[in-house]
Amino acid sequence: MRKLQNILFFVILITSFIFLFNNSGGPRILINLMTFAGIYGLAAIGINVHFGWTGLLNFGHAAFMGIGAYTTVLLIPHTLGREGDVVTTGLPLSLAIICGLLASALLGLLLGLPTLRLRGDYLAIVTIAAAEIFRLLVRDFEDLTGGVYGIILFSDALQIHRPEIITEFSRTNGIPPAQVWVSILTLISIVIVLFILSRLKRSPWGRALRAVREDEDAVRALGKNAVWLKLQSFMLGAAIGGLSGIFLVFNYGTVQASTFVPVLTFYVWAALILGGVGSLSGPVLGAVVFWIIIAGTDSLTRILFESPDGQQLAGVRFVIVGLLIMLFMIFRPNGILGKKEELLLDVK
Amino acid sequence: MLEQLGNGFLLGVIIALGSVALSLLYGVTRIVNFAHGEIIAFGAIITLFFSSPTSSSLLYLDRFSPLGLNFIISSILSIILCGIFGGLLELFLFKPLRKNNFGNIAVLVVTIGLSIFLRHVYLLFASAKPSSFPLDLQKRIDYYGVQLTPRNLQVLILSFTVMVLVGLFLSYTKTGKAMRAVRDSTELANVSGINSDFIILVTWIFSSMLAGFTGIIQGAINNVRWNMGFLILLLIFAGTVLGGIGTSFGAMFGGFIIGILVQLSVGLEFMDGHTEAKNAIALVIMITILLVRPQGIFGKKERIS
Repeated sequence: MRKLQNILFFVILITSFIFLFNNSGGPRILINLMTFAGIYGLAAIGINVHFGWTGLLNFGHAAFMGIGAYTTVLLIPHTLGREGDVVTTGLPLSLAIICGLLASALLGLLLGLPTLRLRGDYLAIVTIAAAEIFRLLVRDFEDLTGGVYGIILFSDALQIHRPEIITEFSRTNGIPPAQVWVSILTLISIVIVLFILSRLKRSPWGRALRAVREDEDAVRALGKNAVWLKLQSFMLGAAIGGLSGIFLVFNYGTVQASTFVPVLTFYVWAALILGGVGSLSGPVLGAVVFWIIIAGTDSLTRILFESPDGQQLAGVRFVIVGLLIMLFMIFRPNGILGKKEELLLDVK
Repeated sequence: MLEQLGNGFLLGVIIALGSVALSLLYGVTRIVNFAHGEIIAFGAIITLFFSSPTSSSLLYLDRFSPLGLNFIISSILSIILCGIFGGLLELFLFKPLRKNNFGNIAVLVVTIGLSIFLRHVYLLFASAKPSSFPLDLQKRIDYYGVQLTPRNLQVLILSFTVMVLVGLFLSYTKTGKAMRAVRDSTELANVSGINSDFIILVTWIFSSMLAGFTGIIQGAINNVRWNMGFLILLLIFAGTVLGGIGTSFGAMFGGFIIGILVQLSVGLEFMDGHTEAKNAIALVIMITILLVRPQGIFGKKERIS
């Protein structure tokens, strides 16, 4: 039964791939799908460390992604704001990325300290509030962040490392080389992050985290510091979120106040829940399925509304996102392929 | 700074009403309802649809024309519809989840999904632009140093009356007492002959009607927008946390304080040019409260981990 389901699922997946390919601009759509699925998959891995491993409810992932991205971009050469102030000096990219990840982890520490001692729902409230504060601050403090005008011309720091072979490959296939490079780097990062996480998951630390999820009091009784464990998990997931945020802005080539809005978090949540909470590579699979669904939704919107505007496209997308989160949480909390025993539903 | 006091009272009363409903529902069902804001928006949008003149084509897919009813009648109908909406949510979504032993965390994620779903259904059906109820424009008058329009004064008095009535209802009626009994312990309420399923249904209906009323008040004071519920929900959370989650009177008080503080902060010097940052202040207050006194001002000190 289980096998049959999996085979059926992969048939559907491959059919949708072929369907996407047959449209005009096939390679372009495919590379777009690969990039976004990779970035959101990486972000979903971060939430999975929070929710799937430790049972922490993080509804403010956009803030972690955003603070990582803004820190990195501001530390490398860039052009800022309405006037286009050019900043030519900066740290080397690798150092800037490390600073970005640290900034995300630090925000995790800051938000985790007051809330991780409390019941789970407080963390949910505080993180969703933090994402909204982040949006307001980015928009209002234009001197620092460029506000709605944003930051541009920073992606050279990444693109100068692009091997010549990728440029040639992209030219012959008619796809943007910059995006191919970001997409490849995202995939490499996913492999590295998943490798590290798979080691961590089997380590005593990973088992202690899952014990926190199942029964915090039992962990306390064993003499482990449950709050500190939760805090570590929260910072780790936040840093992974920050990494995905960095790739997201390098993919766009710009970052504005509208890049990291609070609802972005729920794209990531939908991808996570589709792929299966708690499993290791589930979030990445979920992100692929999610973006195929979104592509299908956009065609549906074009049928429903003649010449839909951006508002209607976004509206239908999020209606689907909301439904996916609700229905999968109720009927298949372990995702399309997930194991039943991985997530206990009566976790309080 | 004081010229903002009138606005502070108005925002405070919106948040206080929203907090009472959220807190009551949380107390009885232990559900942190992230879709609460969407019920508030539902109340406002339905009222707008019922009361706008039939000739106006400001919203709703152009295909439906507004009904053009009397504003008071529209409001009452809308509050009733909100109650029905809340009741249906309990009967067809949350009761089955409860019977299947879903954990609080899973239910919380479901309410998040519900909130995103509903909010964007509103976006598709209503215009993205803010719209106002068909009420005449009024000038502000000085009431003992507080600047308010006559209608906003009526709104304030009406809201305070409703809050007092809610308090009396919870304290003295049989249903209200049963609600508080279920809040304190479902098992004990059950063995003393209270039908807790029925009480939870009543709570859902009651809190949704209050939410609908909140939405109408918010619409009358400011305007009606598809995402009005999400914006006010964060302030309601701040109010509830400040007053103490699960306490009705604490929530009222906390909500009122948050509203006044948020509006007064607009007058501060460093806030110049950062109009939207006022909401950030409420959220910072909330995080501070969680750090120093997580049970809120009026909450009982208990283990809340």
